[in-house]
Amino acid sequence: MAETTNAPTSSTRRELVIERIFDAPRELVWKAWTEPERTMRWWGPKGFTCPHCEIDLRVGGKFLNCMRGPAGTDFDRDFWSTGVYREIVPLERIVCTDSFADEHGNVVPAKHYGMGADVPLEMLVTVTFEDLGGKTRMTLWHEGLPAGEMSEGAQQGWSESFDKLAESLATA
Amino acid sequence: MPPDTLSATFAALADPTRRAILARLTSGEASVTELAEPFEMSLPAVSKHLKVLERAGLIARGREAQWRPCRLKADPLKDADEWLERYRRFWEESFDRLDEYLGEIQKREKKQGHNRFQTKEDGNGRDN
Repeated sequence: MAETTNAPTSSTRRELVIERIFDAPRELVWKAWTEPERTMRWWGPKGFTCPHCEIDLRVGGKFLNCMRGPAGTDFDRDFWSTGVYREIVPLERIVCTDSFADEHGNVVPAKHYGMGADVPLEMLVTVTFEDLGGKTRMTLWHEGLPAGEMSEGAQQGWSESFDKLAESLATA
Repeated sequence: MPPDTLSATFAALADPTRRAILARLTSGEASVTELAEPFEMSLPAVSKHLKVLERAGLIARGREAQWRPCRLKADPLKDADEWLERYRRFWEESFDRLDEYLGEIQKREKKQGHNRFQTKEDGNGRDN
């Protein structure tokens, strides 16, 4: 089972939850997420750079990021991603979709970048920021939305059984 | 592995009968007749569910023509973890860099603030 111990309710394998406490005021963390020239300073794993970042911070607005892998490695290329902002509560919360894209911002399947066809075309990212008096607790949820979206009811319905099933499989 | 297995996996899991079948199979392999027992369902109807589960890679069926026992396959569920794990690595490493960036920028701002303070209050620029 993935370490989703911070998940408030479910623990299905369809989402991951990451929590971090940064030694920085909330406003600064918020700016790091919402101002392109700041986002470019940290977006991407170790050794990657972010040569392009567009953020249209309004509900219905889009972002378009480019992440460049280290030269001479298997990731020596540009990876573009895009998404649409669904909810923005200044300093507190961002909800957006997340997909792989081409450099023009058109959504492409993950296999475009040589990744498994099992990666959902569209994912949902929720980030929350909590003021801890000079420090900031940031929590990120990342969920896959499978093709042919399931209804809310179906998701709720299967999560419990799925948990039990996953438990039994973990020991298989 | 067929393409888009993950979507097939989740679609297969969205049905309560199919989940019940999988739950039954966690305690060992079973024939179609055995699987049909708890449900008020015809054998063809159960077979249809089994086909969906098989296509999703969640179960495998024996070769014996008559009996064809069904058993659970765990692989697709492990795949579900795999792509999420890739994203976990992406985010964790990005947040390490964010942490560094936040540290740097605050140090720089503090330094600038301190210098301004010195210029204003301490013309000699001495460090206290």
